[in-house]
Amino acid sequence: MSAPTLLFLIAGLGLIGWLAARARAATFRRTSGARFSSLPSHHGTYVALWTLLPAMLFIAIWAFTSPALVTDRVLTVPAAQQLPPKGFERAAILSEARNLANGRGFGAFHPLSETLAPAYDEAQSRYDWIGSAVALLLAFASGAWAYLRIKAGFRARTRIERVAMLMLLAASLIAILTTIGIVVSLVFESARFFRIVPITDFLFGTHWSPQVISARDPGASLGAVPLFWGTFFIGAVIAMIVAIPFGLMSAIYLTQYAKPAVRKWMKPILEMLAGVPTVVYGYFAALTVAPAVRDFAVWIGVSWASSESALAAGLVMGVMIIPFVSSMADDSIAAVPAAMRDGSLAMGATSSETIRKVLLPAALPGVVGGVLLAISRAIGETMIVVMAASGVATLTLNPFASTTTVTKQIVDLLTGEAEFDSAKTLAAFALGLTLFVVTLILNIVALGVVKRYREAYD
Amino acid sequence: MTDSLVAGLPTGPAPLPERAPTDWRTQAMQARIRKRYAAERRFRLLGLMAVVMSAGFLAFLLITMLINGLGGFSQTELKLRIDFPRAGLTIDPARLSGPGADFALAAAGIERATDAAANAQFGAEGYKLLSDGAWLRVRAAVKADPSLLRHAAIVPVPASDAIDLAAKSEGSPAAEAIVTRMKAQGLISTRFNPNFLTSADSTDPTMVGIWGALKGSLFTMVVTLLIAFPVGVLSALYLEEYAPKNRWTDLIEVSINNLAAVPSIIFGLLGLAVFLGTFGLPRSAALVGGLTLALMTMPVIVIAGRNAIKSVPPSIRDAALAVGASPIQVVFHHVLPLALPGILTGTIIGMARALGETAPLLMIGMRAFMVAPPDRITDPATVLPVQIFLWSDQVNRGFVEKTSAAIIVLLVFLLAMNGLAIYLRNRFETRWS
Repeated sequence: MSAPTLLFLIAGLGLIGWLAARARAATFRRTSGARFSSLPSHHGTYVALWTLLPAMLFIAIWAFTSPALVTDRVLTVPAAQQLPPKGFERAAILSEARNLANGRGFGAFHPLSETLAPAYDEAQSRYDWIGSAVALLLAFASGAWAYLRIKAGFRARTRIERVAMLMLLAASLIAILTTIGIVVSLVFESARFFRIVPITDFLFGTHWSPQVISARDPGASLGAVPLFWGTFFIGAVIAMIVAIPFGLMSAIYLTQYAKPAVRKWMKPILEMLAGVPTVVYGYFAALTVAPAVRDFAVWIGVSWASSESALAAGLVMGVMIIPFVSSMADDSIAAVPAAMRDGSLAMGATSSETIRKVLLPAALPGVVGGVLLAISRAIGETMIVVMAASGVATLTLNPFASTTTVTKQIVDLLTGEAEFDSAKTLAAFALGLTLFVVTLILNIVALGVVKRYREAYD
Repeated sequence: MTDSLVAGLPTGPAPLPERAPTDWRTQAMQARIRKRYAAERRFRLLGLMAVVMSAGFLAFLLITMLINGLGGFSQTELKLRIDFPRAGLTIDPARLSGPGADFALAAAGIERATDAAANAQFGAEGYKLLSDGAWLRVRAAVKADPSLLRHAAIVPVPASDAIDLAAKSEGSPAAEAIVTRMKAQGLISTRFNPNFLTSADSTDPTMVGIWGALKGSLFTMVVTLLIAFPVGVLSALYLEEYAPKNRWTDLIEVSINNLAAVPSIIFGLLGLAVFLGTFGLPRSAALVGGLTLALMTMPVIVIAGRNAIKSVPPSIRDAALAVGASPIQVVFHHVLPLALPGILTGTIIGMARALGETAPLLMIGMRAFMVAPPDRITDPATVLPVQIFLWSDQVNRGFVEKTSAAIIVLLVFLLAMNGLAIYLRNRFETRWS
């Protein structure tokens, strides 16, 4: 039975249960004349939930277990004896046979998969029927049981509400599950990487060229220091040189000087800078900014300027970060008590003197926190550097030279044609783990700074 | 001032020596004031410059994309004269309708006939002036009007990439010379290209379209919305309305705030390791893309949702409780409807971010070359930002304007979504006072 048909049938059972239970509850109400805590529709929902939830749970579990059962059954047919023992080829033949049985794929690459395909077909339809039958039976049985429990004065509402509460709790647990998923998958894959490459080689090595990994000493060409430097140089130095002055001065102008009408228009316009997709920035950087930067470098006399310079990527990234810095600065300046500003103005200081000598020093921790968050965002930014930075890892201080970043390398390592187990692919997860840890620390520190500062003036 | 007016009270500190009042009219003071005012004006000007330049960056970016991309929506066409009776086509007119028509026409030698007609009309290498897909247009014309086969006819066909660029005055001098000559003969014209909106990817820039990527984006967004919205709203409700203050709920809160700040590429690694590696879901599919983006969007919806729920005044809850509603009824009948506009605004903003996201989708393989739009959420698909990324890598110059044109489409979608969010916020914003 196909999945939509099955779901449709179960939903139909649920609807029948809802209608029947509601009708039954309505008769209790009429015959006894008493008022109960639950409405007839509550009883209906109670029965419907009992019809749907156990069956759905079973289907979810079945979806994960049945493929293994199907494979086990296929392995018992005589033709399966010819399969090669464990390994990549065996898995390839099996998956090809499965695709053939499902009518996908473009024909058999391996003759054995064609002989196994009917067995797959048979096993699959057999387990499909078993699964469908059990699910329907379960839906009917649990629904009927719930229906029989309904009697006058049965508190269906409290039970539904308990289910609703459980759903709320389950939804909020997904955030934890995601976090755990991120940490576990990164740590697990990185651990496999560090079994091949010593962690010290990775963290302190200064030579990065994953295209040629020597089998004897894989750590020699997987030293990530140039990547860390490139990421820091582009994200924390060049981008911030653009973003901090522009963001800070914009925030100051818009909060302290601009007329309300100007502010009303300029703030959303600046926020649009943050809403432009990063792939658009990356294209802009590669198409327009990078050639301009190279021409500029040639003009000032740098003859070997790269068209994939750190400067081009950093400049565009800085522009992207401007609204971020500006809104953080805006918040922290607004949090400075008006009395401090008024006091300074009353003493005869000009607005700019007040801003520079009173408001900014008072808002400094908030601004610093905002800058840290901006750096965290810049070093995690991917598309701009993928499109505008180079793939060559160099340790350089020259903004016109080419550098690469952690995120760019993750993309390069994982979009090539490599199997899932090589040091090359696993290196991407180690880089991901480093990135995750660094941004996490930056975020925690930044939020801590902002929070402590905010408490000081409340 | 110096002595206390009331006898017996202690007097203040020793009187300061008399100081002459500041004479603001002296040269020195006037110069100092001028200097301070000049500094003030400079500072103010700096601020204005920062704002204007930031907006200038945005304007420059948008204008560059518009100038580069508008050409992508138009297509140069050549008027090709084909003498069908003499082309030696082996077509059975009975097969020109019905499901086998495309195949029959392809086998009949239309491609050869098209190239031959181009050579006859434009010289020995004439077929090079046509797009590789020009014969498809001829085929469509024949299918639409089989009577064409009985006489010579003029069919407008797409020009090759080089001619197309030359007609938009960006091509090589040689191609521009050809275009000038053809213009004089009235054989060439540039018009709106509906193909760009209706077809999928191709290796030939004159034949590409964004419909495949747009459909992929649509599927991905639907999956994202179906997962992120209910989960986000329910967890916002739980955290804001019911959650007891304990270590568990603290942990939930911390992980939601933290997830909102995790770099997007990390979500791609999660999707690769968990959805593809552990669960074995199909690679490159909109389903996996949507799941990955949903995990990314959910924290945004939770945070927006909590703010919206927080702003519903407690008196509403108290009133509902007072007439006997249960806590669940209070929330689902009263608080949620009032908070919904705010939640929706946050959801739209989160979805707009997900729509523009590229990096996590590259990780799960949604960068495959796809000539057919996906039909199911498990089909291999690509999305608009990834399509832009893929085209930006093409060396062929014709892809520059197509990339920028796709960017224009993406930005139009994003602007529309953000506009809707702002409209919702203004329309439904309730001020409780």
